[in-house]
Amino acid sequence: MILKLAAKNIIGNGWRSLINILILSIVLTGMVWMQGIYDGWGRAARRQMRDWEFGAGHYEHKDFDKYDSFTWDKSNSKIPAELQGLVETGKAVPILISAGVIYPQGRLTPITIKGIPHDQEILEIPTEYLRVDDQAGIILPAVIGKQMARSTHLEEGDILTMRWKDVHGAYNAYDIQIARIMATPVSTIDNSQVWVDFTHLNEAKALHNSATHIVIRDNSDLIKLEGDFRFISIDESMQGTDAMINVKRMGGNMIFALLLFLAMIAIFDTQILAIFKRRREIGTLIALGMTKRQIVKLFTIEGCLYSVFAAVATSILGLPLFIYFGVSGYKTPQEMANLSVAGTAEPIKCYYSPAMLITTFILVMLVTALASWLPTYRIARLKATDALLGKV
Amino acid sequence: MKKILLIILPILLFAGTIPAITAAEILSKVDENMIAKTTKSTARMIVETRRATRTMSTVSYAKGNDIAYTEYTAPAREKGTKMLKIKDDLWLYDPSTDRVIQISGNMLKQSVMGSDLSYEDFMDEVELAKTYTATLQEDTVYDERSCYVLSLAAKTDNLAYSKRVIYVDKERLVPLYQELYAKSGKKLKTMRMSKVTKIKQRWYPMQVVFKDELKSGSGTTMIIDEVSFDIKIPDYYFSKAILRK
Repeated sequence: MILKLAAKNIIGNGWRSLINILILSIVLTGMVWMQGIYDGWGRAARRQMRDWEFGAGHYEHKDFDKYDSFTWDKSNSKIPAELQGLVETGKAVPILISAGVIYPQGRLTPITIKGIPHDQEILEIPTEYLRVDDQAGIILPAVIGKQMARSTHLEEGDILTMRWKDVHGAYNAYDIQIARIMATPVSTIDNSQVWVDFTHLNEAKALHNSATHIVIRDNSDLIKLEGDFRFISIDESMQGTDAMINVKRMGGNMIFALLLFLAMIAIFDTQILAIFKRRREIGTLIALGMTKRQIVKLFTIEGCLYSVFAAVATSILGLPLFIYFGVSGYKTPQEMANLSVAGTAEPIKCYYSPAMLITTFILVMLVTALASWLPTYRIARLKATDALLGKV
Repeated sequence: MKKILLIILPILLFAGTIPAITAAEILSKVDENMIAKTTKSTARMIVETRRATRTMSTVSYAKGNDIAYTEYTAPAREKGTKMLKIKDDLWLYDPSTDRVIQISGNMLKQSVMGSDLSYEDFMDEVELAKTYTATLQEDTVYDERSCYVLSLAAKTDNLAYSKRVIYVDKERLVPLYQELYAKSGKKLKTMRMSKVTKIKQRWYPMQVVFKDELKSGSGTTMIIDEVSFDIKIPDYYFSKAILRK
């Protein structure tokens, strides 16, 4: 009965209720949209990094530090016997990393050289272009990313010289031909990187079957290793990206906390006004036998119903927006896409998980309930006679 | 008499084909000219790029060939920049940030002040006689000077350049031209030395043009204005403390 009465009162409030519902609906839409963006970004980054860089996880040489290029030339070892079987059966792919220099248009440009087997099928990198058909030839086919091609003004078919030092410290140099410019959404395998065949890079570095990373296809292939390599899970690899997304999410949450606060003030204000205007009604209800507790409940439910109606309005009015950003995605600004952040090279498609939708709605509902209940403390100390006389 | 002639004549003919000096000896003489116990020099480095030509002045102090300290004295933008090399370590002091940074890893591959020299090139100065096996090739005339041509092959795997070709002035035993090669046989750098001057007992080239053969541009010229050898240089010139001084 109270619920019915509360719903009638809200509808009866007309424009005042409509404005409250609209404000709450806008806040709710924004919150869901923004959470969807961050969740979608995280999912895209994880999927892209899994497909292009880390597979189901990777073994990394113990001396390798991705933030310290000084370590790169020294962090490699022979592929352990335990993993060699996986490599041979196509369940793992080794990658050898080296520092080097290229000379596009005669300009010295420091780069990272990465050697990967041309016949691998675990990562999306188009390694089939790295096959060296003429074994006696001195031109190595190479694959680079679009960003790298843009920054160095290189095109497919271009021939240039690449120089590096072998493990002993002696210079070596080959001509390379850009066999393919790949469109990868993962900047960390694109910027300043040149991909060549694994075996040829090993030879050129005076190494044999040595790797810096060994990427595995499935978690079921995980082997406990002791020695030069340690396993890095996809979650560990994603830590930096996840932390950055969470920082962005916190910033977004702060804005919506402010908006929610403003919406709550509107509801609080409406409730205060309603209690003042409806004091005779309150007195009548008490005189008719309703307890003060029931009246407090009535007003609180009225407030809560705002969030319910707001959720309905959001699902109707916000739906086209949610569908658009879920399907077409949000195109990140060029400046951000250039920052080499995973998941930003392609439009971010919003992902609305049921858990996110439910928690967001519950949060708004709880805050609305609080804002509706707070003003009712006056009712608790109200005398029926005073209420009937219009005193609060 | 005939018998004696038959024995002596081939010996004399053969002796005429033997050079008076061996390749190893030439290399040792080159090292003697080029490397001193200590060296102090003031020089200008002229960097020619597609857009402009820049000149930088330096004062350098060196002990042997593996310890060196250089300070840039001009232009104003580079003034106060200091570089210290102690064997395999290289530090750079930047006055604008008042910071000393160690140059290693990928940074070593970067060009020094936009020149054809990389920081690595500063690290790769070696005593040729000790580190390379020399073979004499056919003599040549270079820069109007009669030269020995030596082909140098690295004795060990850990040398930056596994092969060098060097033209040595026959009279002064100073290198006039050098080619530096990668393991694959690709020519990486050339050096052209000129203005060879006698300083005390040694001949020394006062101008060197470095050219990174893979890079465009006409190279970097180093002109030595003043140089003195085997002088006393205080030890603190070769310590990290000098960088912030």
